[in-house]
Amino acid sequence: MTFLRRQLPLLITLVAGLLFAAQYYIPHPSSELMLTSVSKWLQIIGGFALVLGVTSLFHIHAVKIRRKEPGWGYSFVLYAAMVGTIIAGLSPDWEQFFRAIIDLILRHKSAFRDVQWAAGQEIINGHMTPFGWIYNYMMVPLQGTMFAILAFFIASAAYRSFRARSREAAVLLIAAIIVMMGRVPLGEYLIPVSGDITQWILNVLNASVRRAILIGVSLGAVALSLKIIFGVERAYLGGGKE
Amino acid sequence: MSFAERMLHIDRRIIFLLIGLCTLIPLLYPVGLAIKVSPEVKSVYDYIESLPEGSVFLLSLDFDPASKPELYPQAVALLHHAFKKNLRVIGMTLWLPGTGMASEVVSRVAREEGKVSGKDYVFLGWSPGGGSVIINMGQDLYKAFPTDYNNQPTAELPVLKGVQSLRDVNYVISLAAGSTGIETWYVFGKDKYKFELGGGCTGVIAPGLYPLLRSGQINGLIGGLRGAAEYEVLIGKKGKAVAGMDAQSATHFAIILLVILCNVFYLLIRTSKNRAEQNRS
Repeated sequence: MTFLRRQLPLLITLVAGLLFAAQYYIPHPSSELMLTSVSKWLQIIGGFALVLGVTSLFHIHAVKIRRKEPGWGYSFVLYAAMVGTIIAGLSPDWEQFFRAIIDLILRHKSAFRDVQWAAGQEIINGHMTPFGWIYNYMMVPLQGTMFAILAFFIASAAYRSFRARSREAAVLLIAAIIVMMGRVPLGEYLIPVSGDITQWILNVLNASVRRAILIGVSLGAVALSLKIIFGVERAYLGGGKE
Repeated sequence: MSFAERMLHIDRRIIFLLIGLCTLIPLLYPVGLAIKVSPEVKSVYDYIESLPEGSVFLLSLDFDPASKPELYPQAVALLHHAFKKNLRVIGMTLWLPGTGMASEVVSRVAREEGKVSGKDYVFLGWSPGGGSVIINMGQDLYKAFPTDYNNQPTAELPVLKGVQSLRDVNYVISLAAGSTGIETWYVFGKDKYKFELGGGCTGVIAPGLYPLLRSGQINGLIGGLRGAAEYEVLIGKKGKAVAGMDAQSATHFAIILLVILCNVFYLLIRTSKNRAEQNRS
């Protein structure tokens, strides 16, 4: 059992890690074919991850509702919204569906075979499906509203906390004010040079610091990858100590 | 409590009201200040301008409805430009919640420009995997997307004639609202499959992408609503982004004013505290 739980995953990681690190530098057709196959596997695994995520979400919120934990009402709303959206996403074209029912009742002729199903589409045959209605008139405005509210909270937070408590904070404050001015037409109209200063701050100061952070993060990622490939870092195996 | 202290603890609803008014009034009564085009937006425009008719342009709409106000106008402007130039347009998304919106914007602009699905453009939809979708498209586009969003077999579409993988795409632009976006397209796509890459993003992530711009890893960057407005000015088709710039100007200045006021009150309090301590000692 230890072999299956420990050695085998480590061996697979070692072989796969070295193989695909090398693959990048080998443009041979068989190497490319291997990458094509594996990238398809990754896409399929990605699909399963989605199923796993949805299942896990259902499970967590079902437990909350069953135990009537604090805030279980929100879990119920989430459940209702998810189930409702799934049903809507799999529903038929209602117009065709009702026509088929009428045909069946009045003419005793089954036209259900011709009914098109939404299958996650927002529009079929030129008209909006129930799923499309939920997407366009609920999800899009709700997400947009949530994001728009941020502007109000940012303004309030900036007023309360953006203070020049030290020299460094003062530098940050001045830079922020210049960039905020330089990114809008009114700022460039009032102080024409603010646009150019903003460009310089973004292209020189910001880019150089960001690059330093990126290089640091990338070196860390390379080191971590090597540790995982060679079995030094084993946290991904889970299960704690043997 | 002194006046400065009272002002520092002002009811936040007053700030909300101020921001609300600064957004609403300019939308109702636009001023229409001139918009200066930045070099990073101009380079995206210039590159599309330089592409010959029939070139393959891939627009990846990697955002969800939360980022619609900033990225949707960018998509509209880019699609208008690409269709006007008679490029073959491939639309897709790496963000599942954005699929419907992406499909809608591509088909809507195509309709406005008199383009036909399958012949002039295709919307591939979404496929799970993020970076691995890009690798798969780089290896074989038809294996990554055997059918388009309307379930038409991609191999039979005239718009994809001569396109086998990402190597055959002339220009890719990712409109990104987060981590699966421009950087992903660079790391898993451009670096290996050697197509030209440009980017569009929300204002909040734009500063993080400047290193890619400066090193030439992306050839241009459209940042936030301002970037969209600049692009609308470039193509001569003013839309929602230009309309929103007055509101953005007003809110930016309201926040600047609030920050300055808060610091004035803060310094007043600090000075009076220092004086009181000196008097005591």
